[in-house]
Amino acid sequence: MGKATIIPFGPQHPVLPEPLHLDLVVEDEKVIEAIPQIGFVHRGLEKLVETRDYNQFIYVAERICGICAFGHSYGYAETVERLMGVEVPERGQYLRVIWHELSRIHSHILWLGLAADAFGYESLFMHCWRLRERVLDIFEKTTGGRVIFSVVKVGGVVRDIDAAQLAEIIRVLEGIKSDYRQLMDAFLKDSSVMNRTVGVGYLSFEDATNLSMVGPFARASNVAYDVRSLGIGAYGTLSDFQPIVDTQGDCYARMKVRALEVLQSIDIIEEMIARIPAGDISVPVKGNPAEGAEAACVVEQPRGECYYYARGNGSKNLERMRMRTPTSQNLAGMVKALEGCDLADVNMIILTIDPCISCTER
Amino acid sequence: MGFATEFTTLALQELPELSNQRKADGWRFVQLLAVNTDMGIDLIYSFMKDGLLVNSEIKGVTKDQVVPSITNNFLAAFVFENEVHDLFGVNIEGIAIDFGGNFYALAQKEPMTVISPEQKAAREKARKIAEAKAAKEKASKEGATPEQGKPQAVTSAHTADDDLEAKLAGMDPEKAAKVRAAMATKAKKEAARDGEGA
Amino acid sequence: MGAFKLGKMTISGLFKEPETVQYPVQTKTPPAGLKGHVCIDVTKCILCGICQKRCPCSAINVSKQERTWSIDRFRCVQCGSCVRECPKSCLSMDPAYASCSTKKHEEVFEIPEQQKSEEVIKTDA
Repeated sequence: MGKATIIPFGPQHPVLPEPLHLDLVVEDEKVIEAIPQIGFVHRGLEKLVETRDYNQFIYVAERICGICAFGHSYGYAETVERLMGVEVPERGQYLRVIWHELSRIHSHILWLGLAADAFGYESLFMHCWRLRERVLDIFEKTTGGRVIFSVVKVGGVVRDIDAAQLAEIIRVLEGIKSDYRQLMDAFLKDSSVMNRTVGVGYLSFEDATNLSMVGPFARASNVAYDVRSLGIGAYGTLSDFQPIVDTQGDCYARMKVRALEVLQSIDIIEEMIARIPAGDISVPVKGNPAEGAEAACVVEQPRGECYYYARGNGSKNLERMRMRTPTSQNLAGMVKALEGCDLADVNMIILTIDPCISCTER
Repeated sequence: MGFATEFTTLALQELPELSNQRKADGWRFVQLLAVNTDMGIDLIYSFMKDGLLVNSEIKGVTKDQVVPSITNNFLAAFVFENEVHDLFGVNIEGIAIDFGGNFYALAQKEPMTVISPEQKAAREKARKIAEAKAAKEKASKEGATPEQGKPQAVTSAHTADDDLEAKLAGMDPEKAAKVRAAMATKAKKEAARDGEGA
Repeated sequence: MGAFKLGKMTISGLFKEPETVQYPVQTKTPPAGLKGHVCIDVTKCILCGICQKRCPCSAINVSKQERTWSIDRFRCVQCGSCVRECPKSCLSMDPAYASCSTKKHEEVFEIPEQQKSEEVIKTDA
């Protein structure tokens, strides 16, 4: 046994797109403890709610994260609607789900690409991002933005997607599907991928439940929890929704869960488009949130469950807005998964929780 | 499985008991948040089980009160407890991974407890509106019962004034002064016209 | 299990149309609904200032005295709230992105006097 050494990891690291710092306590090549440190990009967005009214804050909310931008504006709007007792028209709810699932597809494909990059499979990375580009093109056509859409407002959505565009979405998704199946083949069956992921960063079902984990990270450890199955908004109208779970609990399982969720999202979008009702896309919202009124809501982001809380104070500004992002919930699980791993696997394990530190710090 | 939220209040000393109970019953820890209020910091602990999201609220925690950590039961809470300590200055004791105030690298201590001018204005406004409303209710109660003989028009004009006052209380002072001046000149003009008519 | 699972996709990529465009030579036509930049129809503007109030990033400045409407394109986040809120629908989103610039500046538009409104109706009739 060698003596313990501390190796600093991050916040600038080739594999990490996010500013996360870890102090890795290593003995020989084994990590015995990891101490996370965040706090490099705290922007005080929650404080900003005091100077922006509840309609304007939606644009701040979607800037919390560049990848789950739609999810944050959706979750924020959903919470403020609960706070003020606003009922969104059905078509608006369906459109929100379509965009939300599209952003899940783009987020998961982006992540798969980053994972491929992390284990050194450059061409796989390129092919993933090539496919993702088609999803971004859908966004560009339907919302007018590629990353930040500004398409949700309190009380509904801003733009409608007409029948021609909906048919176009189906057509593009079909094209993505056939290409994506080949990519999935590479991810799930290629020996060079499996060598890096199978059995790495194992986390048991007991640990996952004890550490209150959420999202694909938890589902890979057989925790069948997905906010979408609670049926909030138009998700309640889905004919059948089963969270995708895996029992292995290692990096490979986490990759597999995300890979399969892309196909699941495509199915959800196709079902939504087949059944989308005609009608209004938004309702006018009048008045201010009442003083002391409170509301909480959860939304399934690509990275897991995201919690929103709002409190009114009788004026047009909210008293407090809080977002608890999936990554902050999963940090404890990440620390646990890192214990006992090889130093060379650290980056792979960190990546498989899909950390979004900028979300976490807001 | 449906989704429902619930808000309950909790006393500070009941927290460890609640945390133990939630752990034993298999609830999932969702989050911990803090709200800065005039009375102190409100802490809200959320737990979830089978689609029921229960938010337990501890009202008005002051700086000198010690909040016990729940990381012994729910390790995931260490992020939030450090955050509440760094941003709100709540004294939380016994965090499993305690950063001792260095979790966030901040230029200012406890930035979320600073009351910005905007928030102060919003609070003042809410308070003034509430006061004006209360005064109006009081006045209408007093006005309604004893003096039945008074003409109806007078009381209605009175309440209209009160309504305006309630609205003015909410506006920023400069604007309110302008509106008041405009109302005064209007009243003067009307009085003059009435005088001419008579 | 097996290696080079991506072979089919990689090789077929040799014979397909490229997914990218040769940028300076070719350019993509922006889709119709793209949020490029905010445009104003100065003949319709009544200087009500609602856009200024609704703007989440205080990019718009409306001056009634000087009869100007100005926008700081470096602050604008293309959320489109001003376009939605304008009572005279004189604001619109142009699909072209704002061009680059070497220094920060505000773009100022002079708003002509609106006495024409009655005349317009007369000529229309």
